[in-house]
Amino acid sequence: MSMTSPMATDVKTRAELALNDEFLRKAVRFTTERLRNGKRSASEELPHWEAWRDRAREIRLHTIAHLDYYLNLFVENARANGVHIHFADNSAEAVDISLKIAARKQAKSAVKSKSMVTEELHLNEAFAQAGIEAVETDLGEYIIQLAGEGPSHIVIPAIHKNRYQIAELLSKEAGEPLAPDTTVLAGFVRKKLREKFLEADIGITGCNFAIAETGSMVLFENEGNARMVSTVPKTQITFMGMERIIPSWEDLEVMATLLPRSATGQKLTMYMSGITGPRREQDMDGPDEMHIIIVDNGRSLQLGDPEFQELLNCIRCGACLNACPVYRHIGGHAYGGTYSGPIGAVLTPALNGNVEEWNDIASASSLCGACYEACPVKIPLHDMLVFLRRRKVEQGRGDKLEAAGMKGFAAIMANSKRFSAAIRAAQVGQKVVVRNGEITTKLGPLKGWNSYRTLPAIAKRTFRQRWEAGEIAAQSAVKEMDPGIRERMEGIMQQRKKRGGDSS
Amino acid sequence: MNDSHRQDEWLSTMEAQSRARQEQFMNRIAARLNRSRLTEPPAQPFRGAPEFWNSFEWDEEERIKQFTQNFIQVGGHVTHSATMEEAAAFITAKAQELEAKYIVRQDEEELTAFDLESRLPDANISVWNTTDQSTSTGAPVDALDTTELDIAESPHEKVQGNESQHAGAHLDPHPETPYSQPQYWKARSAEADIGIVMADHAVAYTGSVAVMSSPHKGRSVSLLPTVLIIVIPVSRLKTRLGEVLLQFDELGAGQLPAGIHFISGPSRSSDIENDLTIGVHGPGIVYAIIVG
Repeated sequence: MSMTSPMATDVKTRAELALNDEFLRKAVRFTTERLRNGKRSASEELPHWEAWRDRAREIRLHTIAHLDYYLNLFVENARANGVHIHFADNSAEAVDISLKIAARKQAKSAVKSKSMVTEELHLNEAFAQAGIEAVETDLGEYIIQLAGEGPSHIVIPAIHKNRYQIAELLSKEAGEPLAPDTTVLAGFVRKKLREKFLEADIGITGCNFAIAETGSMVLFENEGNARMVSTVPKTQITFMGMERIIPSWEDLEVMATLLPRSATGQKLTMYMSGITGPRREQDMDGPDEMHIIIVDNGRSLQLGDPEFQELLNCIRCGACLNACPVYRHIGGHAYGGTYSGPIGAVLTPALNGNVEEWNDIASASSLCGACYEACPVKIPLHDMLVFLRRRKVEQGRGDKLEAAGMKGFAAIMANSKRFSAAIRAAQVGQKVVVRNGEITTKLGPLKGWNSYRTLPAIAKRTFRQRWEAGEIAAQSAVKEMDPGIRERMEGIMQQRKKRGGDSS
Repeated sequence: MNDSHRQDEWLSTMEAQSRARQEQFMNRIAARLNRSRLTEPPAQPFRGAPEFWNSFEWDEEERIKQFTQNFIQVGGHVTHSATMEEAAAFITAKAQELEAKYIVRQDEEELTAFDLESRLPDANISVWNTTDQSTSTGAPVDALDTTELDIAESPHEKVQGNESQHAGAHLDPHPETPYSQPQYWKARSAEADIGIVMADHAVAYTGSVAVMSSPHKGRSVSLLPTVLIIVIPVSRLKTRLGEVLLQFDELGAGQLPAGIHFISGPSRSSDIENDLTIGVHGPGIVYAIIVG
C-alpha cells in the first residue's frame, strides 16, 4: 500500500488531485450524506441524544484522566485470561513484535480485519517484506489493498472507487471477467476470502474498546470478517491504541449506543463481539494463542496537554468527516495521512508531534464547528484546529497564510462592532475575507482551501448552508461562536500583543 | 514436544519483557498526567447509561414487537412460535424448503429436544463438540473428505486449489478421534447450509441477540453457515442493551466465556458504491424464532 508521504505533496496538490476526479466528488458527497442522514434519523429516534453525548464524554474524560490505572487493570485482567500482552512505544516496535510472533509461528499468511492502528503502522508493507501475505478482509479494505491504495474514509475506505473500477480489480484477481454488479463482486470476495480465512496462520484485528474490569476486547463490524479473523486462525494478534479503554461492560452500552449511530446510522452494527482471552481448553474454536499489542505511537504526547488531551476521547466513528464541508469536497486522500477529515487534521500532527511538516492541514478547515456538533464524545475539534494554527504561528513556523489569517482575526478583534457582527462561528473565517460582499483579499483561514476553486462571493450564507445546500434541518440555527473559543482567541491576541507580536 | 517447549520459553521471555515495559508505560502515562501512579480505583462519577435510560422498560408484547421491527428492518426474518414444538416444526419446514444437506447445531438441551435428527432424515446434522452425527447418507468420517466451502450463490460448489478443502484428511493422525480437533468443527460449520443456535440473551431496542461460547457452543456455528437460525425464549428478551451487558460485569473477571457475540441481522456491507450487499462473510439469511 503506498501512502502519500507528508512531505511529498501538500494538501493543496492532493486536493487538486481529488477535485479533478468528478466521480470521487460525487461519491464522497453521496456517501457522506447518506451516512449523515442515517445518523440524523438514528439520533432523532434516540431520545435525549445530548444526554448520551454528555455521558459518553464524561466516561471518556474520566478514563483518560486515570488511564494509568485503567490500562494497568486491563493488562492484568487480560493476562489472567491467558492473553499475551505487549507494549510498543512506536510503530516500529509494534511491527517488530508482531513479526516476531509471526516468525515463531512460521506464518505464511495472515488475515486482517479493519484496523486504523495498523494503517498507522503500515503493517501490511512490513508483513509483505517479511514474506508473509497479509490480506485485508473487510470488503472495502480488500478492494483498496488490491488497488494498492490507502483508505479514504474511516468507515467506508473504498468510497472513491466505482463498481466498474472495482470489477476490473477483482476480475484480475479472479482470472476471469466479473460483471460490475455488486452481488457478483461481493460473492466473489466471499468465496475468495473464505479460502484465506481457513488457511491463514494468523488473524490480525484492531480494537474498538477494551474493558478494563474484565480484560475483554470489543469489536464492532457489519460483515463478519472480524469474527472470522478472531475465530478461525490459531493465533490472534490484536493491535490496540493505548487509549481504547473503558472501565466496564456497563460503559460499553453508552459507546455501543453512540458509535454505530454516529458512524453509519445503525442502532447497532450487525456484529458486536466481546472477546475475553484465547479459546478455553475445551472450546472447539477461537484462537489457541492470543496477543494484544498496546500501542502508544504518539498518543501519550496528548496526555497532560490541556488543549489536545481530549483527542484521546475519539472513538473513531467518522461522524466529523461526514459533517465536514471541506472533507465532503476534497475527500480523504487529500489529507495525506492515515486519518482524514477534521479528526485527521488534528490527530495527524498531534500523533506525529511534527506540527510544521503538516502545516497545511490545519488550514484545510473552515472552522465552522460542524465537526464538534457531530462528535458523539464532543471533542472540540474546531478549537483544536485554532490551537494548532496558533502553535505554528507562535513557533515561528506558520507560513504567510496563517500569519495573515491571524492578522485578519486580529483586525476583527480590534473592532468590537465588527467582532459582534462576526460572532457566528461559521462566519468567522469568512468575515475576515469578505468585504462589500466580495472577496477583496486573500487573507484568512479560508484561503488555503477556498483558493482551489473559483471564488464567487460567498454571500451571506454560512459554510454549512453553502455546502449542505439548504438541508440543515438537524441544526436548525447556526450556533453562535462558543464563548469559550472566543475567550481563548481573545486571550491569544492579547498575549501576542503583550509580546509585541505582529498582531496589529 | 521440543517445539512447544521452545515456544513456551519464548512466551515467558516475552512476558518478562512485557512486565518490565508495563511499569515504564504506566509510569510515563502518570508522569504526563502530572501525578504519581494510581494504584487505588478512582471514584467513577458516571458509570453506564444516563439515569433516565436505566428505568426504561417495555412490556413483553412491546419487546417482541420492537425486536421484530428492528430485525426485519436490517434484512433479518422473525417468526413467533407459541411453543418449542412449533419452533421445531418451523425449522424442519425451513430446512426442507431450503433443501439443506448439512446442518450444524449447538449442543444445547432445547435444540436436542427438537429431535431434528429424526425430523430431517436426509440431512447430515452435526452437533457441536459431540460424537453425535446423524446422517442417512454416510458415516461421520466420510464427511471429512468432503469438506466444502459454501458460498451463497452455489452451495457445495468445490473450491479448487484450496488446501483447506482437504483439511479433514490431515487433521489428525488418529482418524477415529477427529472430533477432538478444533479444525474438524470449523470445517463442519464452514460446510453447513444451516447453523442453529439458542440465543443466550436478546435486546429489543437494538434488535440483537447475544450468543456466548462454551465447549458446547461454538462461535463458528453462528458465523460460518450460509443460513443462521436463532431460537429466542421470550424470557431472554430484554428491553435495553445495558440489561444484558450488566450481567457480564456481574459475572466479572475470570468468569466470562472467550467469545460473546451480539448479532443484529445478516452479514452486510455497503462498501461497493453504497450498494447494500447481504452475506458478505457471515450468514446472509438469518431467522430469529421468538418462542413463548
